[in-house]
Amino acid sequence: MASDRSRRRALALAGVATFVVIVLYATGGVFSGLRTAANTVVEPFNWSVNEVARPIGHFFAGAVNYSDVVSQNQKLRYELGKAQQQSNQLWSYERQLEQISTELNVPFVGSLPTVAAQVTTLSPTNFAATIDINKGRDQGILTGMPVVANGGLVGSVLSTTPNGATVRLVSDTSSSIGVTFGSGAVDIVVSGRGVNNGLAATSVPLTTTLSPGTFLATDGLQGGLFPAGIPVAKVATITLTPGAATYNLTLRPTADLRHLSYVDVVLWEPSA
Amino acid sequence: MRRTIVPATIVTIFIVAIQLDILSSLRFAGTVVMLVWLWPVAMGLAGFTGLAVYVALLGGVLVDTHATTPFGLTAIVGVLVAYGASLLGREGVGDLDSAAYWVTPALAALAGFAAPLLYTIGGVFVFNFELWRGGLLDMMVVNAIAFLLFARLVTRLARAVASVGERVRR
Repeated sequence: MASDRSRRRALALAGVATFVVIVLYATGGVFSGLRTAANTVVEPFNWSVNEVARPIGHFFAGAVNYSDVVSQNQKLRYELGKAQQQSNQLWSYERQLEQISTELNVPFVGSLPTVAAQVTTLSPTNFAATIDINKGRDQGILTGMPVVANGGLVGSVLSTTPNGATVRLVSDTSSSIGVTFGSGAVDIVVSGRGVNNGLAATSVPLTTTLSPGTFLATDGLQGGLFPAGIPVAKVATITLTPGAATYNLTLRPTADLRHLSYVDVVLWEPSA
Repeated sequence: MRRTIVPATIVTIFIVAIQLDILSSLRFAGTVVMLVWLWPVAMGLAGFTGLAVYVALLGGVLVDTHATTPFGLTAIVGVLVAYGASLLGREGVGDLDSAAYWVTPALAALAGFAAPLLYTIGGVFVFNFELWRGGLLDMMVVNAIAFLLFARLVTRLARAVASVGERVRR
């Protein structure tokens, strides 16, 4: 009897907690504050555990000098990514020149200041494609700023703490990015398809001359979320449903999202 | 239950740390193994309903503070699978000593298979219709296999944690 009562009490408590969580979620503003507060409280603990857990992870990897190799590998990937990104951006310079010549004066990512940050945590679940980085508000990072690495756009800053930030990756299902290619006459919306599924674009007009391998970069439209010319993805496959008036695209992110160790946060705020 | 709260809390926080620092980067077929769900399931199969619900809530909330998914959903799913497991655990169905060797892992595997699905369904109630896109089937299969492999070990840990409280009482 008593055990039944305690079981009921536990369930009632769980029910109340669930209700409170849903109310907090629905109220949005309060919830955001709560999450930031919780993150700030957990962060120091997480750091200390991380210091213990990282060597254990390396131990499981099984090599004596594994951590040094991983560290060097991460730095090399970062350097390689930067070089790859510069290479990918070359094609967009032509378009940039056109824009400058017509006095549009759209800012280009190459001329914007950046803050380098180390990736501290990957998303703890498969239901969101995010990373945590070790730089935050105190280093000038604000919500919405673009994050680049490993050859292109990685994502944008979702939330910040004084010394950390969460970045939503371009592959996250809630991510949408305006992109263009070639002369920039056509704008396409690229959406994330989940952690393991890359990117996709739907409803691309049939008049668009796209081929597999075409690079897509941010369009930098006024009021857009990203500055112009950041490489986002490469066309992998083009699908045309019989009778449809538009293409569907499967895209591969230009940034290697599986091996993110260091990223650059572009100190650029979306215009209101 | 009160005397087991402290050791259960410590172990749960440690498990959350393993989830965040090791398992989130050690992916199998691109999928994260959700130890924060296996832990309450094991506690439930060991027959500790109150503790199972508590560790599910605590672990879920701590993980949710680090995720951009709907806050509390990991905790709710954890509570559901933990409570389901505890119903069986209290009847001795998943007991490590009395049940057949494979029963505990099989029940845990079932929970591991169902939990990502419950999570996706739960997402609909908070107006997030995109959760299935993260590779739902992969998640269900990988978690089922991981739960199958580690169920006995984690259930032993659950029993040990609960017995610490008992020893303190004596």
